[in-house]
Amino acid sequence: MTTSSSPALAEVSDLDRSARWPLAFLILASLGWLVFSGFTALLNTLQVLEPRLLADCEWFIYGRLQAIQESAFLYGWAVNAALAVGLWLLVRLGGAPLRAANWVAVGALFWNLGLTLGLGGIAAGHMTSFALFQLPDYIQPLMLAAFAAMAAPGVLAWTGRRERPTFASQWYVVAALFLFPWAFSVAQVMLLFAPVRGVLQPIIATWFGQNFLGLFLAPIAIAVLYYLLPKIKGQVLPAYDFAPYGFWALLLFASWTGGRHLIGGPVPAWLPTTAIAAASMLLFHHLILALNLRGLFAPGGSLALKFAAGGLAAYLLSGLSDAVFSMRGLSVITHFTYFEQAQSQLFLGAFSLSIFAAIYTLAPRLLGIVWPSVTLIRAHFLASFIGIPVLVLVLALAGWQQGVALADAEIPLRTIAANTRPWLQVAAAAQAVLLFGNLTFLVHFAGLLCFSRRGGASIAQFRQLQALEATAS
Amino acid sequence: MSANNSPQNDRAADPRLEQLAASDESLLHVHDRASAGAPDVGARYQLLPLALLFIFSGLIFYGGTYLNRYSGHFSAEVFDERKLPGGEVQVVQIDPITLGKRQYALACVTCHMPNGQGLPTVYPSLVDSEWVTGSEERLIRIVMHGLKGPVTVKGETFNAAAMPAFGQVPGSGYNWSDERIAAVLTYIRQEWGNDATPIETATVAAVRAEIPARAEWSEAELLAIP
Repeated sequence: MTTSSSPALAEVSDLDRSARWPLAFLILASLGWLVFSGFTALLNTLQVLEPRLLADCEWFIYGRLQAIQESAFLYGWAVNAALAVGLWLLVRLGGAPLRAANWVAVGALFWNLGLTLGLGGIAAGHMTSFALFQLPDYIQPLMLAAFAAMAAPGVLAWTGRRERPTFASQWYVVAALFLFPWAFSVAQVMLLFAPVRGVLQPIIATWFGQNFLGLFLAPIAIAVLYYLLPKIKGQVLPAYDFAPYGFWALLLFASWTGGRHLIGGPVPAWLPTTAIAAASMLLFHHLILALNLRGLFAPGGSLALKFAAGGLAAYLLSGLSDAVFSMRGLSVITHFTYFEQAQSQLFLGAFSLSIFAAIYTLAPRLLGIVWPSVTLIRAHFLASFIGIPVLVLVLALAGWQQGVALADAEIPLRTIAANTRPWLQVAAAAQAVLLFGNLTFLVHFAGLLCFSRRGGASIAQFRQLQALEATAS
Repeated sequence: MSANNSPQNDRAADPRLEQLAASDESLLHVHDRASAGAPDVGARYQLLPLALLFIFSGLIFYGGTYLNRYSGHFSAEVFDERKLPGGEVQVVQIDPITLGKRQYALACVTCHMPNGQGLPTVYPSLVDSEWVTGSEERLIRIVMHGLKGPVTVKGETFNAAAMPAFGQVPGSGYNWSDERIAAVLTYIRQEWGNDATPIETATVAAVRAEIPARAEWSEAELLAIP
């Protein structure tokens, strides 16, 4: 194949082709899990509204279904998608084809196999008792090994990169690839195989949960935002010289913020106190991010940029709400209510929106053809930008009302539960909208894969890339 | 679904294919250059670094103050963020017999012997002694302020030695707290077959409050007290 004579094809490089099938499999698997977890999430909310639903079916009672939903979302959608996008970024910026791509394929296969078995184990009642870490203990070492197999080629892409200079996206992805197995292995040893005693367990569990979200999912999403903005707009990021401070602020403080979930728990007071202070310190990271990426909020961006802008807005809001509502005076109201679910949905929404932006950008490059349908993209966009804000807002309002009522000893619990009911009905509707949107995305991606096999769709006509001009920022 | 029916003129607006503008190589190089910071043309003062420095310092100041106020000095034993370690004395009930036995072994044992029998003709016995198992008031005073001069115990007169003051009174070489005195007295009243009521710390404290300082008692003075 000629390389330079066809400028239109210049962008579909050997780089993307080397990673085509492993990454396509990761994305397909991740979207499958996303739809599955969306379906179980909807079912789970309906169980709250109608407790008799599936109450006789031991495998899908409320608690187990919740664990299945959470694990499918985090370990199915989030990790698969994060690896696909992270590896693509490292390959692109490394300037060399993906080495050891077989490892990615094998790792992805075993990761998803292990997850399927793990979810079956949860349905059978073998889950652990730790939030965000509920897969059965017998499946966990396999997951760690499978992750290592998928992450190793990413590290190779980093060490074998063609260019000496590095970009912010690379720092974040490489850090994420190292930090997740660190937290994951420590949690496995200290919670499952040589468990620490008593109150140390929730401390380790929240530490792991925070690292999973803050030091694995967040960096990947940030890497996407850092990459897409200058790539699509062709502009240098403003105030880029401060980007390293934003990176190190995240690495320094994110791990410490987990203790805010332990406020009021039987732990030494300094743990939640440190977490509250760290959540505020982390605002520096969010500030740098807002400075660097404010171009995303400029009007007239493409669809991928709009997804990315939604992701950034949700991420910044989530950081702010973590810092503000971890304060003890406010936490008294929001702790143990739907408000905390709203906060976690906001963060996961930020992650998902950023990854959507990345997948819409990278899939045509990976497979060499354009997305088949504009309608499906618009439908997914609308569903995401209606579903996520409505879900977060409704849960936040329900949680606030619930928290205020719970603090009043005069109001019986039954009344409080009844008052949250209308809110939860709206939340279920939002979840249905999200499920619909994600289903269209899955169908769309599956269609893209089929067309690329049969060659039925239009070949992507990529625009000639320009060299980025260094402009005064 | 195939695209040959609608080749769009403005490809940038086609959401089916996100067009990229910059090459990866130039992205790396330009941002590498940008990471050195904006060139200082004309030695102009740059506001952003200073502002960020102030904001970060403000966050550190806030975080540090918050940690200092609510960390309980990072003690593993402070569970209420408004408390400090040691700020509240923990009241632990000590068994008076255990404490009394320790106090007895520290000092009393020298004269009254481990078996409480004393030394014939020199130190009176505590076992079955009417002074020990009798009036609390007298017994407390003997240990608190001391005893000098002849004393008759179980019909035998002792005159060779003096009992020093043990309480927190002037001239005492021991300065035992009221709690310790109560404990040691309870101990000797219930050890070696003695079977008298325990002595409360409050009773000892009342005696000390009544007579904060005085010389050793004599037998006659003690016998005047009920």
